Amino acid sequence: MRKRKTQVALRVNGEDVEVAFVPHKTLLEVLREDLGLTGTKHGCELGECGTCAVLVDGKPVLSCLALALDMEGREITTVEGLAQNGRLHPLQEAFADLGAAQCGYCTPGFLCTSKALLERNADPAREEIEEALAGNLCRCTGYLKILEAVELAAARMRQEKTRGR
Amino acid sequence: MNERTHRAGKVVGTSFRRIDGRAKVTGLTKFADDLALPRMLACKLVRSTEAHANIKRVDVSRAMRKKGVVAIITGKDLPIPFGILPVSQDEHALALDKVRYVGDPVVAIAAVDEDVAFEAMDLVRIEYEPLQPIFSVEDALKHPTPQIHDYAEEGNLHRKVSLEFGDMEAGWREAEHTREDLIFYEGNTHLPMEQHAALAQFDPDGKLTLWSSTQTPHYVHRALAKVLELPASHIRVIATPNGGGFGGKSDVFNHEIAVAKLAMITGRPVKIALTREEVFYAHRGRHPALMWVKTGVKKDGSITAMHFRSWLDGGGYGSYGVASTYYSGALQTVTYHVPRYKFEGARAFTNKAPCGPKRGHGTPQPRTALEIHLDKIAEDLGLDPVQMRRKMLVPADSLTANYLRVGSMGLGACIDKVEEGSGWRAKFRKLPFGRGVGFACGSYLSGAGLPIYWNNMPQSGVQLKLDRSGGVCCFCGSTEIGQGSDSVLAAIVAEVLGIDPFDIRVVTADTDLTPVDLGSYSSRVTLMTGNAAIQAAERARDLLTQAVAEKLLVSPVRLEFADRRVFDVEEPSKGVSFAEAVQLAEAKFGTIGTVGSYTPPASAGRYRGSGVGPSPAYSYTACVAEVEVEADTGIVKVPKIWIAHDIGRAINPTLVVGQVEGSVYMALGEALMEEQAYRTKVGGAHKMPSMLEYKSPTTREMCEVVTYLVEDPDPNGPFGAKEVGQGPLLPVMPAIANAVYDAVRARVDQIPITPDLVLKAMRAGRAGPMRVPEVRWPEPIRVPTPWEGGDGRAKP
Amino acid sequence: MKNFEYVLPGSLEEASKAAADGGAKLKAAGVDLLDEMKNTVATPDKVVNLLSVGGMREIVRTKDGWRVGALVTLAQLADSRLPAAITAAAGEAATPQIRNVATVGGNLCQRPRCWYYRNRAYACLRKGGTVCYALEGENRYHAIFHNDACAIVHPSNVAPALLALGATVVTNRRSIPIEEFFVLPSDHVDRENVLEDGEIVTEVQVAQSRWSSAYREERERDSFDWATVSAAVALRMDGAVVKDARVVLGAVAPVPLRSKEGERVLIGQRLTEKIAQAAGEAAFKGATPLSDNAYKRLVGPANLKRAILSAGL
Repeated sequence: MRKRKTQVALRVNGEDVEVAFVPHKTLLEVLREDLGLTGTKHGCELGECGTCAVLVDGKPVLSCLALALDMEGREITTVEGLAQNGRLHPLQEAFADLGAAQCGYCTPGFLCTSKALLERNADPAREEIEEALAGNLCRCTGYLKILEAVELAAARMRQEKTRGR
Repeated sequence: MNERTHRAGKVVGTSFRRIDGRAKVTGLTKFADDLALPRMLACKLVRSTEAHANIKRVDVSRAMRKKGVVAIITGKDLPIPFGILPVSQDEHALALDKVRYVGDPVVAIAAVDEDVAFEAMDLVRIEYEPLQPIFSVEDALKHPTPQIHDYAEEGNLHRKVSLEFGDMEAGWREAEHTREDLIFYEGNTHLPMEQHAALAQFDPDGKLTLWSSTQTPHYVHRALAKVLELPASHIRVIATPNGGGFGGKSDVFNHEIAVAKLAMITGRPVKIALTREEVFYAHRGRHPALMWVKTGVKKDGSITAMHFRSWLDGGGYGSYGVASTYYSGALQTVTYHVPRYKFEGARAFTNKAPCGPKRGHGTPQPRTALEIHLDKIAEDLGLDPVQMRRKMLVPADSLTANYLRVGSMGLGACIDKVEEGSGWRAKFRKLPFGRGVGFACGSYLSGAGLPIYWNNMPQSGVQLKLDRSGGVCCFCGSTEIGQGSDSVLAAIVAEVLGIDPFDIRVVTADTDLTPVDLGSYSSRVTLMTGNAAIQAAERARDLLTQAVAEKLLVSPVRLEFADRRVFDVEEPSKGVSFAEAVQLAEAKFGTIGTVGSYTPPASAGRYRGSGVGPSPAYSYTACVAEVEVEADTGIVKVPKIWIAHDIGRAINPTLVVGQVEGSVYMALGEALMEEQAYRTKVGGAHKMPSMLEYKSPTTREMCEVVTYLVEDPDPNGPFGAKEVGQGPLLPVMPAIANAVYDAVRARVDQIPITPDLVLKAMRAGRAGPMRVPEVRWPEPIRVPTPWEGGDGRAKP
Repeated sequence: MKNFEYVLPGSLEEASKAAADGGAKLKAAGVDLLDEMKNTVATPDKVVNLLSVGGMREIVRTKDGWRVGALVTLAQLADSRLPAAITAAAGEAATPQIRNVATVGGNLCQRPRCWYYRNRAYACLRKGGTVCYALEGENRYHAIFHNDACAIVHPSNVAPALLALGATVVTNRRSIPIEEFFVLPSDHVDRENVLEDGEIVTEVQVAQSRWSSAYREERERDSFDWATVSAAVALRMDGAVVKDARVVLGAVAPVPLRSKEGERVLIGQRLTEKIAQAAGEAAFKGATPLSDNAYKRLVGPANLKRAILSAGL
């Protein structure tokens, strides 16, 4: 079949990019293969593991089940966009400090999903974190260090906010 | 004894951030599929749709004509067999004349992109002549022909083993109570989050480079040389950081060889990333195991004799299976004193994805059987199962009946921790119906005593390069699979040289650049590379010491390395910076480079089969699980687990606890839901080649874990350290099974403990296997025990 | 995934016209469709993107109930003020990320999860073949009612809740009471609902009532999973007495299954644990389990009992 690429303007990590691809390309494929943003990983490409989660307009979605063509005009954030001006996001710091990343493969998906949680709930209870992260599988950590890291990051962010006031 | 065993450190023992932590949280760690090279081709494998069949014809002509297809290879292009064990060289990169499971690769296609390769797959025609499929050990016995492999020991039994240690008859006579149990453990798989991927490049000068998500680059290196008929020195294998391994990437895989061959043929880089479905076919996971155990005991529970049998369902190829078979009988003796022991094991070939090593390799199944069995014995005798076990522990610094040398042994301390922490005495047999507690122990190797292929070279090597900038670079063949091996290396070198782990560059798992390490399997890395790193670092320190002593005019014995300085311990202000120390040494000796290596101590057993089981050190774990069982649905929930692990010495407590919690998690999945099962009624396809159907625990299932680290330094461990990656998994399944019994007084002698089995057990008192396959066991190799005056050899 | 032509219709009419073409598939979020396409169970030449049609994204409160647009996400529905059974069912589906995009319309129209259907190696009855492999094969998650022809279970967990509350499915052509929306394999083995070519679900209407409701399911893990059994219950209570009841079973039949047997036990009775138990047993009495799924027959009554009690209290 003849392939027709479509030129699409996307906004990724705060930058506008134009990229051409065939209609069946998923957001995951366009991020990794066309934009070189390999920080977003794939574990199944069928929506079964949460590894490929990115933020679309601030909400975590699975990039493997999103057609990139549907992303025009949406604000996409990947793990590469979490650190600002060379400074890690508090979630990234906390994940590194507590050993919440072992092999690190599921980590980008967990980070993006956790970021969305902390943006709508600055002080989530353990159960709320568990629920928010119930769509992300991790085979290394048993999740406990991840849950603790989200709590630690939330506490540090609240502290920073208080200090900033 | 290692001089560093009992020394507390500035780095060792502290929870420093792992050295690759920042890369991992920023998405910068490059996994195999993150790599791309100019002109790279994409590879897809066409896999068998038949479970067992002869290949009549393979026609790739239509696929070859498709625009964008660059090369296609079949079995004929790679006729040399390979296999991880020298005794089972039974795999071909692409099936040669027959297929042995649904998913067995037959054809490899290289095309300009993945879409073209994918579409070309449909154009390949393969004609099969179906053969009688074998889906179980029973099938294998019922149908000795057609043989899945003609080198099998008997019909479709790959291997049979029979070992006997000591006078069993005397043991049975001495027993005041004997009990037999039959337990089944379903197979399950590693399910690493990263799908296997590999990228091959063939240079115009005839050198091949393979980047692969492998735990064992050294073995892949050897296999490539053999199958591709290239000089090993012209092949470079780089293990990319693994996105989880758990044993699932410790074999040599078809796709690794296929992309290498395609790169050689096309002269272009070729990459493959397995789909999740294909990862289930690659498998090499836990063997389904049926186990029978008979034990004679005294009234206090002490064992007089134990006879253990295992029947392993091996899948379509040998893989590590012969070792797995031995492992299913090897470690029963290292926790409780077993004065006489007999083991018989059989592994069948079946038409399913090959089984191999998964976390705990071959030992979680027998450990589960043994600990459930002992729980029942304790009940038979009216004893508390914790007290009973505590009284029969193997002493430290002793030999077992099968000639395993136990060094440090912290199981008693582990038992104390979990007994007290869990409030065992107030709970056991005292909780209301539907709630229960269960107890179990376990032990695992800190590295296998022997390499996979016979040689007398070191199992691990480390090279250090120190330069005048004060920079230290550490080269080692070990592979980072998420467990933190790079950080352990950095910590150990930093500790010896008195610098910070982040001062060190670690280059690992590159067969061109790094000295051989056998790989990240059998929990060997911390102990073996750790010891090699100590040796290399101490040699470097000696050079620096000599140079600094000369400069400062102090005795070398007074020099201390700490805080990035080398100084006089008696007059700490007198000293030089670490960089200056290197400069002094470089001036004195020339370029500074040192090496260290590690070879495990010789094992005590000298009988055939004694190669499986020995280890420089054994870790120990004790576990209490608390469960809630819903009586009308059979659903088991595990709110909390207490686990104590004898780590010897925690090099980095955060990493150690991470391994313990990860082991508990994986065990929870095995205990309650994970199954690598097949649709054997129709076609033999994998029942669940997806992460939805293969159920693994989510955040909602994970339990609270209370971890206790017991630090009883082992003389063979670096700074006393033993393993933690696998051992803590072992006692969790049986602790949960025993807790289910405490909750509802019904025995589920089968793993996973699914709700339907719980309901069945509640109706019938027990759910589990009822009969065993009839195997003609070979005449045992008889080995007198140490206390019978044996010397580790078999009776003639 | 096979390449396809991507159609971005500007209106429902355009979408309907494009979708009426034999090789076309309608897509909302595409969660289920992309899964099928990646597994090559579906290989459409044309994918018609409903997201490009405006509207259908809101929950509108009306005088006597709610109009839920077909493109409303499950996350939106879960956070809404619709009856408890519906919000609970929406909130338990799949995972948070999937609920953020998966739509109500898509949830009702998703294809079965039967592992023979989803594997292209099996040319099963539902894919135009002659055999339902589940009947003779492995069928742990399959139907225990109406399982003589094809033993799929309907995968939607919102559907039983909507059925218990008497919802109406509105399409671009007609309004369909949800009881008449789903079809049994004995009537149509190649599809799960009455939608015709080019027909598009546009909204779901739920009437406000004084019925109290609950949804409950059992599954093997609390996320990422389909129900082993589910139950949606709506009760009209008069004090402690059940005046009227609607009991719907999910994950046990090729359609969300109304259980009149269960309802009959409840109606006119004081709601007690015993009567809830009896209703649970009555509802599952006629089950015809296959070789591997008798467990559903055991756990179903327990789950239904809990759903009844939770709706009535």
